[in-house]
Amino acid sequence: MPKATIRSMKKTVAVIFGGRSAEHDISIVTAIGSVLKPLELSQQYNVLPVYIAKDGSWYADMKLKDIQLFTTGGIEAFCAKTKKAQLLFDNGLVLIKSGLRAEKIKIDVVFPAMHGTFGEDGSLMGLLRMAHVPFVGCDMTASVIAMDKVLSKQVIMAASVPTPKFIHFSNSEFAAHQKAIFEQVEAARLHYPVFVKPAHLGSSIGITRVIKPDDLQNAIEVAMHYDDTVLVEEAVTSLIEVTVPIMGNDELTPALVEQPLTKAEDFLDFDTKYMQGGKKGGGKRGAQGYSKLPADIPESLYNKALEVAKNAYKAIGCTGIARIDLLIDSKANKVYFNEVNPMPGDLYAHNWRQAGIAPVQLVTRLVELAEARFARQQQLEVTLTTNFLKQF
Amino acid sequence: MIKYLTRYHPHYITALLYMLQASEYKPKDYSAWYLRTKDFSTVARRRSLVMTTKAKLLLILLWGLVLIQVMCFAIMLWIWFASDEVGWLIMAGIVTLVGPFVTAYVVLFPLWLGQIVIQRPKQRRLIAAAHQKLAAHKGLRIAVAGSFGKTTFKEVLATILSEGKMVAVTPGNMNTPIGISRFINTLTGKEEILLFELGESHVGDVKELCELVQPNMGIITGINEAHLITFKTIERTTSTIFELADFLPHGPVYKNAESELVRKRAHKNDRLLYSRRGVNGWAISDSTVSINGTHFTATKGQKIIWAESGLLGQHQIGPLVACIDIADTLGLSVSQIADGLKKTKPFEHRMQPRQLHGAWIIDDTYNGNKEGVKVGIDLLCRLEARRRIYVTPGLVGQGEKTQTIHTEIGKQLAAASIDVIVLMRNSVTAYIVEGLRQAGFQNELLLIDEPLQFYTNLEHFVAAGDVILLQNDWTDNYA
Repeated sequence: MPKATIRSMKKTVAVIFGGRSAEHDISIVTAIGSVLKPLELSQQYNVLPVYIAKDGSWYADMKLKDIQLFTTGGIEAFCAKTKKAQLLFDNGLVLIKSGLRAEKIKIDVVFPAMHGTFGEDGSLMGLLRMAHVPFVGCDMTASVIAMDKVLSKQVIMAASVPTPKFIHFSNSEFAAHQKAIFEQVEAARLHYPVFVKPAHLGSSIGITRVIKPDDLQNAIEVAMHYDDTVLVEEAVTSLIEVTVPIMGNDELTPALVEQPLTKAEDFLDFDTKYMQGGKKGGGKRGAQGYSKLPADIPESLYNKALEVAKNAYKAIGCTGIARIDLLIDSKANKVYFNEVNPMPGDLYAHNWRQAGIAPVQLVTRLVELAEARFARQQQLEVTLTTNFLKQF
Repeated sequence: MIKYLTRYHPHYITALLYMLQASEYKPKDYSAWYLRTKDFSTVARRRSLVMTTKAKLLLILLWGLVLIQVMCFAIMLWIWFASDEVGWLIMAGIVTLVGPFVTAYVVLFPLWLGQIVIQRPKQRRLIAAAHQKLAAHKGLRIAVAGSFGKTTFKEVLATILSEGKMVAVTPGNMNTPIGISRFINTLTGKEEILLFELGESHVGDVKELCELVQPNMGIITGINEAHLITFKTIERTTSTIFELADFLPHGPVYKNAESELVRKRAHKNDRLLYSRRGVNGWAISDSTVSINGTHFTATKGQKIIWAESGLLGQHQIGPLVACIDIADTLGLSVSQIADGLKKTKPFEHRMQPRQLHGAWIIDDTYNGNKEGVKVGIDLLCRLEARRRIYVTPGLVGQGEKTQTIHTEIGKQLAAASIDVIVLMRNSVTAYIVEGLRQAGFQNELLLIDEPLQFYTNLEHFVAAGDVILLQNDWTDNYA
């Protein structure tokens, strides 16, 4: 029998985007361009756009599918005149659109198309776990680890996946023991150049490449402006930066190893990545506009990169989808874990497409993976009936 | 009930006008659509109404008719109030019920009148002028007839012959007496070869066109169930297309042996029966097909042609070798013919490949016949691909054979193990699905409700390495 069935009751997928994050705008592009459209085209789901404004208010409306609402600045007027959506946890997630007749929408699956703070760092995932609803992408724990560069490197090291040497400290530690921290850098024998990074932010925000000790303090202050924890990490020499999107829960499907076309001294910061189309001095599209796909590296190194990426994905406990960034020392033929991105911008659909997975296939598979993980979680006992309270 | 009420929505008038335009103001097509349609709120899915002068005048007429009906309704109600006679209320109800249908059909009257009074006399003058001009023309006349493949054959032949001759060819699908007459009236008299495409939809059409163009040579490209609605039987279709051969009892008439109905009607020993194996002494060898085109070697005695054509598919070899023979007969050299073949490339929307994000899209949306479906599936199977995707709404105008033909298409697709089949949901979808079911199709099947949305968002459905064949497209009046 053909697989196709004419579904009488389509599931409702809520695509949540925006949010109280520095990557609010990027999230809008990911959601509208790479998630909402292909989900709708799949004809398998009722797709509901759910927008979280910068003030944290939630809105659910079909008009939010239109990118022009955001590009023309009309979103502010829209939010001012639209009733906010409310959340109800009723053995699942229910969105309530208030009005003369309140409309309750039962959500079957959530597709968080969120980046950065609150959206990608495990906060939203915790909320969705509480709501008892399947959701796409990494679960709460993996998201928390992934969005903390220090924690993720510690987890990775514990799993024997190589990563560059680093030290880390909090803002308060730096304020109180500045000299000691500089000494710590010396003691750790970190060779310059080093990278100074805020521990939790994505999209290369607040990262500085430091080539001599004199510039270290300034770079740390820049990073501290964005985050309360900072790490100083040794730069990899003869560097080739690559990134590998991976999909799956237990069985992993990697896309292609992609090589962003940036030089070591011109690494991808936020401005390069998103505002200038991936290349300083000009460019048209997003980060994917300037990259080699697949990466132009020897086959053995390519395979090693895939292996390290998959090991890192598993070590962190990623499920659904994530993108693993790697650093390759091309002379030493060594591959290092750099960081993990639990919700890659635009899902890295360009890479998946090149790897043979069309956008419609990609989003539907991600929804299926979310449902599979949720189904598995349901098999676990989470409540216990005891006589504990009766003794009081 | 809700669908019925769409006849009372202001969009109803626009829908009627749009469909008149979409069916090229042909009363039969328009009436068939009207009788078939239940919901008038979702008529224009692929295009929109173009406000020509004709459309504007008809729009005024349509709204005028609505106004008259509203006034009649109001007057009847008023009389009923005044006289208290129930008959007037009933009359008002009848006007309300019948009004939309009256509007839909009355609008045809001025079109019919315009045709009788203005269009037909003008056409008669045009045809007479063409007769006169052609009588004085010294060029060789080649006529191409058939249910399918006419345009491609004509264009390929023109491309090859142009390497050594001055050729004039009827443009596009200009294949009616009016269209051909317009073409004849543009001729300069210096052309050495005149190529005519002869259209057919009724018995006698090809004969009428032969009498107009007086061909010296003919080509019959194939016969199938196209226009079966008007021909009623396939025998009548065959006879009509063979009116070309009847007109040239002694003249050369090339016939496509790969079309079963043509082969059956032709003599077994006809040397001008062409196929992928050759024609008139030309033998074909070493044929290969890729996304870049079709290559083969044609040999006749000492003459060898290494043919490289941009046309896609094994089925193109037959027409190409027929063109080689015609060009050879007309005195073109081997190198001229080879150069001409190199210049042949897919025509718009006919097995026309293009790349999209690393995938190959083969646009065959102008192909609307079962032979085309067969060769399309064959081509899809021969090309290297990560996934083979076949997209179609099915075929139109298949008359009584609609169910049989579409079930067979389903079976062919299943047998070819196509990875993804995308069907535009319409009246024939169930037959294709039934064919797939009968043949045990196990791969992916996607049913699309909004064809335009699918075609305009194709990039979301494809990945690098995919080959997607888009075969046939339905306009709104067939949906």
